Amino acid sequence: MSAPRAVGREVERVDGVEKVTGAARYTADLKFPRLLHVAVVRSPHPHARVLGVRTERAARAAGVRAVASGRDFPLHTGIYLKDQTVFATDRVRFVGDPVAAVAAETPEEAAAGAALVEVDYEPLRPIFDVEEGIADGAPLVHPDLGRYEVVPWIQPKAGTNVCNHLKIRKGDYEGALRRSSRVFENVFRVPQVQHVPLEPHVSVARVDLAGKVEVHTSAQSPFTVRHLLCACFGLSHGDVRVHVPYVGGGFGGKAGINLEPIAVALAKRCPGRWVRVMVDRHEEFFATVVRQGLTATLVTGVDRHGKVQAQKMHYLWNCGAYGGYGVNIVRAAGYTCGGAYEFPNVWGDSIGVYTNRPVGSAYRGFGMQEIHWALEQQMDFVACELGIDPVEFRLLNALGAGKATVTGQVLDEDAGRVDLCIRKVAAEVGMDPARQRRPYSGKGIACAVKAPAMPNDAASSVVMKFAEDATLEVLISGIDYGQGLMTVAAQFAAEALDVPVETVRVRGCPDTDLSPYDWQTVASRQTWATGNAILRAAEEIRRQLLATAAEALGVPPGELALARGTVAHAASGRSIPLARLVMGYQFPDGHAIGGPVSASASYLPEGLLFLDPETSQSAKPVAKWTFGAQAVEVSVDRETGQVTVEKVSACYDVGHVINPGLIRGQTYGGIVQGLGTGTMEELIVDTTTGRAVNASLMDYKIPSFEDVPAVLTAEFVETPQRDGPMGARGIGEHTMIPTPAAIANALFDACGVRIHDLPITAEKVWRALREKERGERERAGAAGVPAAAPAASGAIA
Amino acid sequence: MRKTITLEVNGASETAEVEVGTTLLRLLRDGLDLTGTKEGCNEGECGSCMVLLDGRPVNACLVLAVEADGARVTTVEGLSRDGLLHPLQRAFLAHAAVQCGFCTPGMIVSAVALLRDDPDPSEDAVRRALSGNLCRCTGYRQIVDAVRAAAAALRAGEGAPEPPRRAETRPTALPVREEVPA
Amino acid sequence: MPSDLDYRSPSTVDHALALMSEAPGGAFLLGGTDLLPQMRTGRRAPSVLVDLKRIAELREIRETADGGLSIGAAVPLADVETHPLVRARYALLAECVSTVGAWPLRQRATLAGNICNASPAADTAVALLAFDAVVGAVSSEGRRTLPMSRFFTGPGRTALRPGELVTDVVLPATSRGFAGSYLRLSRRKGMDLATVGVLVGRSDGELPPRYRIALAAVAPTPIRAVAAEELLEARGPKAAAEAAELAMDACAPITDLRGSAEYRREMVGVLVRRGVAMLERKARP
Ligand SMILES: Cc1cc2nc3c(=O)[nH]c(=O)nc-3n(C[C@H](O)[C@H](O)[C@H](O)COP(=O)(O)OP(=O)(O)OC[C@H]3O[C@@H](n4cnc5c(N)ncnc54)[C@H](O)[C@@H]3O)c2cc1C
Ligand code: FES
Ligand code: FES
Repeated sequence: MSAPRAVGREVERVDGVEKVTGAARYTADLKFPRLLHVAVVRSPHPHARVLGVRTERAARAAGVRAVASGRDFPLHTGIYLKDQTVFATDRVRFVGDPVAAVAAETPEEAAAGAALVEVDYEPLRPIFDVEEGIADGAPLVHPDLGRYEVVPWIQPKAGTNVCNHLKIRKGDYEGALRRSSRVFENVFRVPQVQHVPLEPHVSVARVDLAGKVEVHTSAQSPFTVRHLLCACFGLSHGDVRVHVPYVGGGFGGKAGINLEPIAVALAKRCPGRWVRVMVDRHEEFFATVVRQGLTATLVTGVDRHGKVQAQKMHYLWNCGAYGGYGVNIVRAAGYTCGGAYEFPNVWGDSIGVYTNRPVGSAYRGFGMQEIHWALEQQMDFVACELGIDPVEFRLLNALGAGKATVTGQVLDEDAGRVDLCIRKVAAEVGMDPARQRRPYSGKGIACAVKAPAMPNDAASSVVMKFAEDATLEVLISGIDYGQGLMTVAAQFAAEALDVPVETVRVRGCPDTDLSPYDWQTVASRQTWATGNAILRAAEEIRRQLLATAAEALGVPPGELALARGTVAHAASGRSIPLARLVMGYQFPDGHAIGGPVSASASYLPEGLLFLDPETSQSAKPVAKWTFGAQAVEVSVDRETGQVTVEKVSACYDVGHVINPGLIRGQTYGGIVQGLGTGTMEELIVDTTTGRAVNASLMDYKIPSFEDVPAVLTAEFVETPQRDGPMGARGIGEHTMIPTPAAIANALFDACGVRIHDLPITAEKVWRALREKERGERERAGAAGVPAAAPAASGAIA
Repeated sequence: MRKTITLEVNGASETAEVEVGTTLLRLLRDGLDLTGTKEGCNEGECGSCMVLLDGRPVNACLVLAVEADGARVTTVEGLSRDGLLHPLQRAFLAHAAVQCGFCTPGMIVSAVALLRDDPDPSEDAVRRALSGNLCRCTGYRQIVDAVRAAAAALRAGEGAPEPPRRAETRPTALPVREEVPA
Repeated sequence: MPSDLDYRSPSTVDHALALMSEAPGGAFLLGGTDLLPQMRTGRRAPSVLVDLKRIAELREIRETADGGLSIGAAVPLADVETHPLVRARYALLAECVSTVGAWPLRQRATLAGNICNASPAADTAVALLAFDAVVGAVSSEGRRTLPMSRFFTGPGRTALRPGELVTDVVLPATSRGFAGSYLRLSRRKGMDLATVGVLVGRSDGELPPRYRIALAAVAPTPIRAVAAEELLEARGPKAAAEAAELAMDACAPITDLRGSAEYRREMVGVLVRRGVAMLERKARP
């Protein structure tokens, strides 16, 4: 075996040159002849019956080539729960719900045409809050919920607004609670936020005169786009072709379908013409998808030693108007509700509630940042109340090999070491309990865990083939929307076949007609699933190369090895360069053997089992877990409430670092995105009009260069994953999960106030501090002693 | 109303007829097919549309094409020459400062302007100068490193554009010892 | 944007005025960083854009006869903040300017545009108010000057007459050499509009010194807190806390996305106290 050359090395991005030169084409960069532009008519009401849609005037307007609206497209679609039509048919469910769309020669003509579409609405009472949504007698967002088609492992409740409910029942929660020496209860909230990919959503479609549908789109899952489009329009998969060029960020928001059905609906109305639907930044915020809101109530019972014995988790998810991916977030949050901890007795309910807000969907972490916001603060809260160091308290309760998750899955030896991650980050920011303390400066820690949330049969496949000069082409359909999939694919292929990584070309902008199947690029599953498929395909390539070379050299294949772009025979010192083998080998007498070398292979996670429908117990509900932790250091401005995050240290057990530069990038990027949701992001919906009031980058701020902590560190533990490619496991989402909770815990450490509702804005901190100081003054006044200097003490629940 | 304008884009003179309301960004992307300059917000907030206008970094979404009549425009496409990369482009690759790449052209253009004004920017100076360029992927850390590394390279006289590394290593140049049986 | 929109770029002020009087629905255009986004969202719909950037006289920063400094309407903010005379004599203006948007935005945005847009959060306005700047304006009725103290009449409203053109902003010689700082809170550290902006300045080398306190984003327009200034002039920095109270009384903030009225008011107090304390620290290095 030769030493590793590609995997583990800081290989430059294989798509990098295209991206730094401006050569890389994203969907909106593609040129189409006589492209039609689209304006979407969107509901101005959060909840209303649609009495009628009249499009005749719009259809006659200058430049208008096609108009499409609700009742023409009655079929429902949805990744797990089919609850959505292309356009609203009988009712609109959020401000922005598409009602009709107009395609015209210019964007201005499309907008003018859209203004002529007349819609009659009968406003209905909207609901915006989950508590309202689950109350008896609440107006129903989906009265037809009971008639929708749904996968067996999602459980909507007909006649209510509950689109999924997952229950965790482990051990004897009630008994354990009674036996607990102390019990703590807290409520935490997370608002809806938006992904804010720098590239807004855009899709282009054409239906040709033969009826074949072709789509170019900024999406994370070309095959799922195809699959769901077929469901929307009753098409055969054979007649729909989806291309995904470079994608300018997605973070979950481009999973599944978004604008594609609107583009196809219009394209069907003007065969032969390309139709482009593009949202502007304003629409991106409320008319695509957002992250779900969460209200989490946690009850924790501990024994005398500080071990958690009873844990209750009640999650109410604000799913918005449609279930989308949200119903599966509800599920994932349920079976991960114990976080990185071992809780022997658990009562968990994760409930998804429809409301008349923008559509909740997948967002980096798939519910995990939200539940960790609650759980990791609760753990801190309990530790502080018990007077136990928060690091020690976590170690005492941490999951690890041989311990059981909330679903009763006993973790294997290869599960990953959250304990090591905790120790490393605690050491990195100096969380020693005996440390010197400065006023209004604090340190906090939070753990993270996540498994891929996907159907048990979510598969990936790859094709590998050679060009004449032995350039190795790797065809994948996982999407590299920044995380570096194309590069790690090249590394795996180069490593497995011992060829220079520079000779590998990853064809990473898939075309469903030509590229191998892949379920979706979500769930931090791609390096793992694509990687495994590549290693399998490489094995077959190797077999073919060796067989041909063996014949050429007249030696048994077993004596041959791939070595630095050749097939080599160590015993005789002879070798054949791949370029002479990949298209077949020709002997001096002219006869040839072998043939173009190529292989395809796939990977499907093995041995996954459904959850028990009543208790969610399951010995192997997910393919793998990735554990990690972050610790942060903050300083707080006592008078303004401004929190400055000075340092964030992250550590994850990733199994095997495939590319140090890329994984650091994932880590820093996730931390800063987490800092955004932690300290500044919230999509604010006016609860009288239902409108998103801060739907612009002027009003909705994401972190800029100047908001980044001065020090970011990233460390990795490498406990190999048995079924991971070269031991690797997923990391893309995990980096964003613990940051807000770690900041909140550091804030508490700094000044004794706890913020329960994201985001941690300066004004909230200022109010909490003022409240706390007032309380202290009152207590001091009552005791007849002067107010104590502010110090870390007491929580504001 | 339509107007005819002439401007120099990446060294070439271009004449175009544009609507008054057309932004420089639209002209570059739709009219001249220079799609390296991106549209992320159309409100001056994200910086993905950054170009140099008479040498100054500007948000092309906030400039009307007619305002650029007679001006000199440099886009990301104008930074690499004859397949040779600008030192900033090289540094972005070497420091893993690129992820989805959508912000990258704008970042690099802003950084070109910064390094011309300040050949040795501190970390803070980089953050300040680039704070009009948003990136949702990288967390900015590696971009700061890339810009400072490029500054050092330029100061050391390594300013000459370099070829993209991938193109250097052609598969045909594999280090092999060929020995074929007779 | 409407397809009948016209664009003109005159090279003289007279021509610009003439164009505007021909088309009363027109708008002057400088950096366009306020105007273009407003046109895009439909808040403004001018029939013609009269671009002033090609008028040489408006592109100058020059000393006035009496030792003040005139900043032409079309000078980009980036040139204001880096100008040696601005930095030497009106450093607080440079500081305020440097908080507007980001560096590339300031290559286009102008002082005149900032005050003509008349946002309550206009960051340069606080320095111009503090320095008793005078706005030069011209219309078909002739040239006149407007003191900054009477320039703003409400959010988005100024004392300019329809069609009147701002030529320059003049900083008087008497306002040279103010020391101090512009303290600004925003939701994020990089590029964001101010939630609260407080300028605290003090004249250098005068006895007794003059004080200046000007506030952004806490009233319908940027304002001066004159009572607070007078108190400090009378009683010196030890009266900082009371001055802060007076400044809080002077403001009339609203609750919006960036902060509540209550928070803003309280922050005015905090920042005024800090600003005064910083003066002391700067004075005793
Ligand atoms: C991303 C972004 C961030 C921003 N951040 C800030 C910030 O932090 N702080 C801040 O204060 N502002 C900020 N702004 C607002 C804006 O950039 C400033 O107000 C800028 O100074 C406006 O100048 P301008 O030259 O671009 O004005 P323009 O948009 O050209 O003009 C502004 C207004 O003045 C009128 N006008 C122009 N010239 C004249 C004249 N000579 N006489 C009479 N009327 C005239 C125009 O018709 C228009 O109504 C920001 C804007 C953006 C897009
Ligand atoms: S597109 Fe110009 S700044 Fe965002
Ligand atoms: S790399 Fe994706 S936005 Fe910067």
